[in-house]
Amino acid sequence: MTTAVLPRALSVPSWVRTARGALLKIATAAIVLVAAASITFFAQLLVPGDRATAILNQQTGRAQQYTTAELAPVNAQFGFDRPLISQYLDYVTGLFRGDLGTSYTQHRPVTEIIGDQIGPSLVLTAAALVTAWVLAVGITLLTVKRRRAVSALGSTWEALTASLPPYWIGVVLLVVFAVQLRIFPVIGETSARGTVLPVLTLAIPLAGFLGQVTRDEFEKVLDQPFITTARTRGMSDTAVRLRHALRHSVVPAITLSGWALGALLSGAVIAENVFGRPGIGQVLVTAVNTRDVPTVSGIVLVVAGVYVIANLVVDLAYTVVDPRLRAS
Amino acid sequence: MRIRHVVAAASGALLVASLAACGGGAAASGGGEKVQGGTIVYGHEQEPPCIFGGWVQQAYISRNILDSVVTMADDGSIKPWLATAWKISDDGLTYTFTLKPGVKFTDGTALDAQAVADNFAYWEKGGNSTAKVSIDPYFKAARAIDATHLEVTLNKPYLPLLQMISQAYFGIQSPTALKRSDQLNCEDPIGSGAFKVQEWKHGQEVVLTKNPDYTSWPATAKHEGPAIVDTVRWKFLNDAVSRYSSLATGETNVIYDVPTVNWKDAKTKYDVQQYITPGKPVSIYLNTVNGIFTDKSVRQAFAYGADRKAAVEAAFHGVIPYEGNPSVSQSTPGYNASVAGAYAFDQPKANELLDQAGWTTRDAAGYRTKDGKQLAVKFTYPAGSVFTTEGATVLQILQQQWKQVGFNVTLIPETQAETFAGKYSGPKAYDAQPWYWTSPSSAILWIVWRPDTKESPNGSNSAFYNNDQLSTVIQAGNSAATTEEANAKYAEAQQIIQDNAPAVGLYTQTTSIASARNLHDVWLEKSQGEPVFADAYFTK
Amino acid sequence: MTAIALPYRAALRLRPATVVSVLVVAVLVVALIAPGLLTTRDPNAIDLQSTLLSPSWSHWFGTDDAGRDLYTRVVYGTRESFGIGLGATALAMVIAIVLGFVAGLARGFVDTVLSRILDVAFAFPVLLLALLLIAIRGPSLGTVIVAVGIGSAPGYARMVRGQVLHVRQAGYIQASHALGHTRWAVIRQHLFPNAMRPLVAMMTLGIGQSIVWASGLAFLGLGVAPPSPEWGALLDAGRAAITTSPWLEILPGLVIVVATLALTSLGRTLQHRLEGAAR
Repeated sequence: MTTAVLPRALSVPSWVRTARGALLKIATAAIVLVAAASITFFAQLLVPGDRATAILNQQTGRAQQYTTAELAPVNAQFGFDRPLISQYLDYVTGLFRGDLGTSYTQHRPVTEIIGDQIGPSLVLTAAALVTAWVLAVGITLLTVKRRRAVSALGSTWEALTASLPPYWIGVVLLVVFAVQLRIFPVIGETSARGTVLPVLTLAIPLAGFLGQVTRDEFEKVLDQPFITTARTRGMSDTAVRLRHALRHSVVPAITLSGWALGALLSGAVIAENVFGRPGIGQVLVTAVNTRDVPTVSGIVLVVAGVYVIANLVVDLAYTVVDPRLRAS
Repeated sequence: MRIRHVVAAASGALLVASLAACGGGAAASGGGEKVQGGTIVYGHEQEPPCIFGGWVQQAYISRNILDSVVTMADDGSIKPWLATAWKISDDGLTYTFTLKPGVKFTDGTALDAQAVADNFAYWEKGGNSTAKVSIDPYFKAARAIDATHLEVTLNKPYLPLLQMISQAYFGIQSPTALKRSDQLNCEDPIGSGAFKVQEWKHGQEVVLTKNPDYTSWPATAKHEGPAIVDTVRWKFLNDAVSRYSSLATGETNVIYDVPTVNWKDAKTKYDVQQYITPGKPVSIYLNTVNGIFTDKSVRQAFAYGADRKAAVEAAFHGVIPYEGNPSVSQSTPGYNASVAGAYAFDQPKANELLDQAGWTTRDAAGYRTKDGKQLAVKFTYPAGSVFTTEGATVLQILQQQWKQVGFNVTLIPETQAETFAGKYSGPKAYDAQPWYWTSPSSAILWIVWRPDTKESPNGSNSAFYNNDQLSTVIQAGNSAATTEEANAKYAEAQQIIQDNAPAVGLYTQTTSIASARNLHDVWLEKSQGEPVFADAYFTK
Repeated sequence: MTAIALPYRAALRLRPATVVSVLVVAVLVVALIAPGLLTTRDPNAIDLQSTLLSPSWSHWFGTDDAGRDLYTRVVYGTRESFGIGLGATALAMVIAIVLGFVAGLARGFVDTVLSRILDVAFAFPVLLLALLLIAIRGPSLGTVIVAVGIGSAPGYARMVRGQVLHVRQAGYIQASHALGHTRWAVIRQHLFPNAMRPLVAMMTLGIGQSIVWASGLAFLGLGVAPPSPEWGALLDAGRAAITTSPWLEILPGLVIVVATLALTSLGRTLQHRLEGAAR
């Protein structure tokens, strides 16, 4: 996989090379995922205090230390008494069988925990991304390089929305639209109407970012000779913007989107919390708090997986929006 | 220190604050016609990892699914539940319970004496460590005499046994079901209760459906027969703003823990009930084996030095009571009210004690010093669900007042991960640390203050305070022949603790529920404060 | 952009918005260096007789549950919030420049290995980096800085790498190679300055974003310890009161927005100037 910020240019296009490249991408993607999960596995062992103590305290709502005798059965049950390396090898070989381990606290397979929560998370993330794009592109098209006041309005809006603290925007939306105006439910859960406010909570700041980079690019593109040429050929302003400028201006925003998808997926925890929505963000925060090592590692694996796929899509998207980039 | 474990009895643990105005009361009272069936949407706060376990967050739900052997009435007395009667031998060592005949678990297994004995064995071998710690080291064995007679024997007399087993940690599960996987027992415990788990949508809600064959309601139930509503949707709404708002928009019918800022508003709009948790209140343990608090005068100066009552009133908006007794809360049977008044705000007294203790000089910042060492307090507290923002505000107010008498208090919020991992639990880890532990009996004194020795460590003694006299007095209370005698001993123990100040009182752990006015007879169970939905019904 | 357009463009940028942004940042700098000039009160002084007062002439931003003056707390909170913003951004930039340049320039086996390592870093959820770090080190001002810094580094690294790849393709770089300049000389004289230029503006944007980020950590209870008036902590403390004493949540939120907006606006002005100068 590549993290293309800019597409990698192959000097000589060749099918053999492409096929080999694709295989390599898949292999390296797998390595990346396993590495991400492994790092998470070990990083969690750096957290002070031992896992058996955390499990016992968690079960009883206490915070104390235990004797070796009290900890022994827990250590035996979860296999913490075995050498670390064999615990790790078990975990990694499990990964290749599609077994992400079993949660220390919920006693469920991690695949099941994630399976329960990934759907709402993906819906929220995808909807937020699409909404952000619509807002960003729409506002850019309407305001870029117009009268000064209009342009200023557009860029101020983008800077403003990009500055909103996530909890703050969420709770303000909640109080205004759900509590006062009662247009949307307070407990969003997974219903379509209930998804609107969490989506906006994530989409509005993201639209600000996407809008900023798109506007910059748009301004540059509109200054380019080929635009002038198009205009002199008598093309209308709207057509110039839509047919020529837009296509070139969205490249940086596409790059940003690939990254945003991964970040939103786990970072949606605040929107989930405020609107009572299930999702892996909440599960991740709880799992880190309870030292549920397999669950945390499993979520990292999945988020990294989504990121990898998103970036493959991004690579593809470049070639669609800008055929020049297909091969040069 | 445990998060919300139980309750107690004494006086008015349960302040039914409102229930005023319109639709309050029984069928058809205040107008409105009683409806059979329906769905209660309940907005709870925290989602537990499992439905059964030793944390109060688990007890909240399991109380509605599992029945216990006995229950506690509002006056603190023990009433029949699965046991219709019981007999205690003269030496206080043998309890013989007569069980209700013909009760079945929802999986069809018979709930007989053997089933209950199996549950005792399950708790003891680690199935529920809170249940275990509540009856150890007194519990010896449980055996079935015949199908309806159970015998529990003790090593030593233990008067609070019945109070202890009235907690939902002692909910009886189907022995057949217990043989299933950990996962199934975590998600779908099988009891004989008014409801059973239909579905757990993780991160969202647990859907409970009524057990139509319910026969084993407690003596404290408000009606006889299976639950009146068909379904309870037990939702997890962490955010206090949305939880409270959901009641106004009608998305929930009843919610847990009304934010204190909204309490006044809630009283005018809903039926509210407040529950003052018995057991150990939220009080500050002082480290008696390490650092400045090894000196009793310094501990006492700390207690005198800040206006704890005013701080609690301000931060909790006058909703949650101050508790000056650090070892037992005001709603616990055996509470010693007279010790609660000790160490009232008195900064001159605090200064005098510190001067006597040799902390006579002050540094540039105004903190006291002795032999070049600053009077510094490392004050760790479990932030978040245990210690809320309001609790943190109390501490910030106290911090400023302690500064006036020369203490340099550094507040260190512990993350949940640190708390559970025990990062701040050794004698080197802190000077002061607040916690609470809910329990329906003053026997909580034994759990918390049992000496911490090499042979028999007590991780719950967070002040690391060993006092043989105190230990003797508490044990005398636990093994007393009568409640009066026990309470006298417990009162003496509370006095000893207050005099030596290994802990400083703060406030009572208090929870509440608010319900819409067309929903009736949701009540809070006495021993731990769980909302009970078996008797609840709507009116039209 | 053509050279002729430059003066017009520069003039355009010195608009009221820029002036306001400069003023806002100036006030913030005063609050940062000498908060005592903006308020006479103590940010931690409690007054249990005047709790939860709504904004008035004597308490511009009202008071909180402990009777502390919110305006004073916001002023004193500037130092910690900006400390987080500056510290985290600086850290993120250093990491990003190293990673970004190495990834953008390396070739062969080194490139392959480094790219894979970077892929792992990029694929790692940023929130988790912060959570794990705080779980390991405990919450404190320093941890928040490191957590936000490391958390936002991959994003910047990606931009730096993109910039390096972009500049590397540029005609003058190819020309330098053709002229026989050593690789290192080309990097030092051409690649580095040109690739770095947009980052100056990016830093200004980053400070604001780091402050917003830190407020998210405060929401999760992982912020700076009380009684710190760090802005995220103020937001966290005010959230329960949004329906009853809304100023406790709304005003600190607005301060974060205005401060970030001013920084962003300046950053972008700077960015446009620098880009203009480059052409």
